[in-house]
Amino acid sequence: MTAPGSQPEIAVTGIGLVTSAGIGVQASWQGVCAGISTARRDPNLAGLPVDISCTVPGFDPGRHVGRRSSLIHDRFVQLAVTAAREAVADAGLDPHTWDGARVGIVIGCGVGGVATGEAQLRTSLESGPRAVSALLIPMMVPNMVAGHLGIELRATGPNLVTATACASGATAIGTAMQLLGDRSCDVVVAGGSEAAVTPLITTGFAQMGALSTKTDDPAAASRPFDAARDGFVIAEGSGILVLERASDARARRAGIRATIAGFGASADAHHMTTPDPDGKGARQALLTALARAGVAPDEVEHVNAHGTSTPLNDAAEGRMLRAVLGDRAAVTSTKGVVGHALGAAGAIEAAFTALALQTGTIPPTANLEALDPGIDLDVVAKEPRRRPIEVAVSNSFGFGGQNAVLVLTRA
Amino acid sequence: MSDLTYETLVALLVEKFEVLPELIRPGVTFADLEVDSLFLVELLLVVEREVQAAIPDDAINAQDTLERAVDIVREHVATAGTR
Repeated sequence: MTAPGSQPEIAVTGIGLVTSAGIGVQASWQGVCAGISTARRDPNLAGLPVDISCTVPGFDPGRHVGRRSSLIHDRFVQLAVTAAREAVADAGLDPHTWDGARVGIVIGCGVGGVATGEAQLRTSLESGPRAVSALLIPMMVPNMVAGHLGIELRATGPNLVTATACASGATAIGTAMQLLGDRSCDVVVAGGSEAAVTPLITTGFAQMGALSTKTDDPAAASRPFDAARDGFVIAEGSGILVLERASDARARRAGIRATIAGFGASADAHHMTTPDPDGKGARQALLTALARAGVAPDEVEHVNAHGTSTPLNDAAEGRMLRAVLGDRAAVTSTKGVVGHALGAAGAIEAAFTALALQTGTIPPTANLEALDPGIDLDVVAKEPRRRPIEVAVSNSFGFGGQNAVLVLTRA
Repeated sequence: MSDLTYETLVALLVEKFEVLPELIRPGVTFADLEVDSLFLVELLLVVEREVQAAIPDDAINAQDTLERAVDIVREHVATAGTR
């Protein structure tokens, strides 16, 4: 077996976040550090067996994105545009002056513009095919999120969307690292976006048995690693990172929030939706990411786990983390606060991991009252833990057995 | 069936297509208002409902002025009415 090649160190020079904890990095980070779940009953899901979600509060497309946005963008694009603008400004870059040909866009998206699709299906059934919008396809297809960001940011370099279900956002960041490593790009705007909290998609996940059914107590429903967990809470959001080779970022004296030292991807090749019970695929991705980062397993001090709050994921991930990393790492799942934003989750969590490294603060796992006795890990609960961290891992695992793991280090 | 008036077209553009009212004049083209071909298809769907008559997708293009568009729709309504 050939060892994985090394990757150049990649700097996170900008972050943008739109989550159920708030619009912007500050609101999202404060919310996640407060450790209080944002899940609540969702009027758009009224009457369904599972009617709770984590949606972005106070998002106004006209104000946050611009005139006509509601006519031409599905919500998953609107959230991404908002997060991307924040990230690029945070990086101190200006799309009016950068060389757009050297800027790539890679965005993870698991589902795409289903709200538009569902609305247009109703129109078509009620009023016939003549009434269907000519904007249905450009609003719905998942690749359009990267397409629109290219327009918005005047970025004409490689432009693509990654779809590895709930790992999509992390896969996007890993793919961006490769585009920087082989010098296809000098800057990549990478992340994930999802706005699939629709009646149909929520019902689909409920029918799989993947969602928490604690609908009478929404704020207690998402409880990663807790003994009483029973599924995830569906969420929407976007996390966008501006990535550059660390050498370039230092040369232009950019503020560096954290560095990404390694990426590992793998497939379980086991089952359509059930994770490999021994976590073999996840372990392979983690070991690859660590090897590429040149980090030994016992050097990892913090893990932002995939931690969906489903019985199966958290048990398998917990066993795998304990087996590979031992008991030193302080583990958290920010999904306790912001729910599971599907294709955006990996990018939102990479952003939280970068902020944990930068601030020396590990957010707590919301609703962790009694750790599952089968999980032998140091899971942070109740209060944020403050301590300097040098090395952290962010795990993302998707239905389809697609795994993506990032290793981040303090800048 | 009913005719499309210039005032109705202006109201549709402002309310449904977020065109800035201060840009609107009879002689301005759809292209000037950044109403591209996809928006025109949407606009014609709304106009069809308004006048209760079928208007072909290619009846109006982005280079037509608002004044001209009103005339074109009237011609289609008149033709449909004599059928």
